[in-house]
Amino acid sequence: MFKEFHYQVRGKGHLRDGTPGQDRTGYLSRGGVQVLCLADGAGSASHSQFGAQAVVDEACTMLVDRFAEFSASDDGARVRVELLGQLVLKLNNVANRHGVKPGDLASTFLCVAVSGKRFLGAHIGDGVVGYVKNGELKVISAPDNSEFANQTTFVTSGRALESMRLFRGSLDGVAGFILMSDGTGESLFDSRTGELARACAKLIAAVGSAPAELSKTSKHTKRLRRLMDLKIRAATKDDCSIGILGRNAASRSDGAA
Amino acid sequence: MATLSIGADDLVDNPTPRVPVSLCLDTSGSMGGSPIEELVRGVNLFYDAIDEDDDAHDSAEINIVEFNSSAGLVHDFASIERLQRISSLTANGATAMGAGVNLALDTLDRRKATYSGSGVLYYQPWLVLMTDGAPTDNIDLAVQRVVDLVEAKKLTVFPIGIGSRADMNTLARFSPNRPPLRLDGLKFKEFFEWLSKSVARVSRSTPGDTVKLDLEGLAGWAEL
Repeated sequence: MFKEFHYQVRGKGHLRDGTPGQDRTGYLSRGGVQVLCLADGAGSASHSQFGAQAVVDEACTMLVDRFAEFSASDDGARVRVELLGQLVLKLNNVANRHGVKPGDLASTFLCVAVSGKRFLGAHIGDGVVGYVKNGELKVISAPDNSEFANQTTFVTSGRALESMRLFRGSLDGVAGFILMSDGTGESLFDSRTGELARACAKLIAAVGSAPAELSKTSKHTKRLRRLMDLKIRAATKDDCSIGILGRNAASRSDGAA
Repeated sequence: MATLSIGADDLVDNPTPRVPVSLCLDTSGSMGGSPIEELVRGVNLFYDAIDEDDDAHDSAEINIVEFNSSAGLVHDFASIERLQRISSLTANGATAMGAGVNLALDTLDRRKATYSGSGVLYYQPWLVLMTDGAPTDNIDLAVQRVVDLVEAKKLTVFPIGIGSRADMNTLARFSPNRPPLRLDGLKFKEFFEWLSKSVARVSRSTPGDTVKLDLEGLAGWAEL
């Protein structure tokens, strides 16, 4: 099993403007499948915090239920359509409930799911997905920005399907994964080189070597939260969110997720 | 858990996304006297206001293109820390507006290429076109370039008429989305104050933000 840590903190700019934190993270473990999701609500969308939460909740449930099917499928296009279709359906329902348009719930979407010896994941918009494999820190999926800094693709965008990156692979040699929103990326992803900061490997190692599953009140969790609350948040005006899966060497040699 | 020791060397310090602003200014003979003096004062006030805003200070990069009988670069793009305040502009000659706008667009293109080449993110560029008269050269190519960029949402343009003789019909050709503005008298100060606040607003935006320009804030000094 991987240990997990996920957290979001309201950005300085949102605090100054009186707008709510719009990043959301979620984790679900069931039936031997572990799913970690992250969504960054669009600043221009009036109810994006609800959209981000809905996307995270729906994706966690869907990927736990359908990991085996998606992981084995050779038809990536169909997986993309089904995954996005389910998220959009959920957003339509939430939009109806709040009396808003689906576009008012716009958010990015990042996820990683692991089970047995396999992993899979998906990414729409900005933010970064990375992992440590055979001791090397690598980017799996980089930000999908348009030409300008304040533009990206959201789950509700017309080109979401085209923009969605789907990935999967073997967990052999994988020590862990990291997901981050663009706010966190200002400290943990170098936009000039396209590489992750060294801190990412340290964070994955720290989560993987925790003595037990991280509870919300454990000192390890508090230490990670403090890092987000102080160092990561200080470097940006934006909300910051992160999701980490990590496992120690013994788990890796067992070959089991 | 392994000891979590994250130092400054473990994190990255990404450059602030930039807002390139090109001021394309009419320095033809008719701008002589008070208009050119007020314009210089307004530009310097703009620089001061950008300097004082924490967000705009880090993001804004400004150049000045002037046009009279020909077009020329007064200074290239630079951050506010590196910009010298301008002491004077000289008014003389004709109004080569087409050449001026084309040069401003060329400099914006080069600046964007520089950003892209060095991994620096940037916001939609701004072009501020200010004139007190009518063009004396062919503006068709310049108009087409501006309109194409504005319609593709790759440029924000502010055509500003100075005084009663400014050819607002010509300026309107550069602005497919909103009417050009005519300065009420020589109120450059108010315009550049508004412009600096607008740059600051863009500098604070994050992905997904739609930056709405506070055009009502112009009501006190301009005719819309």
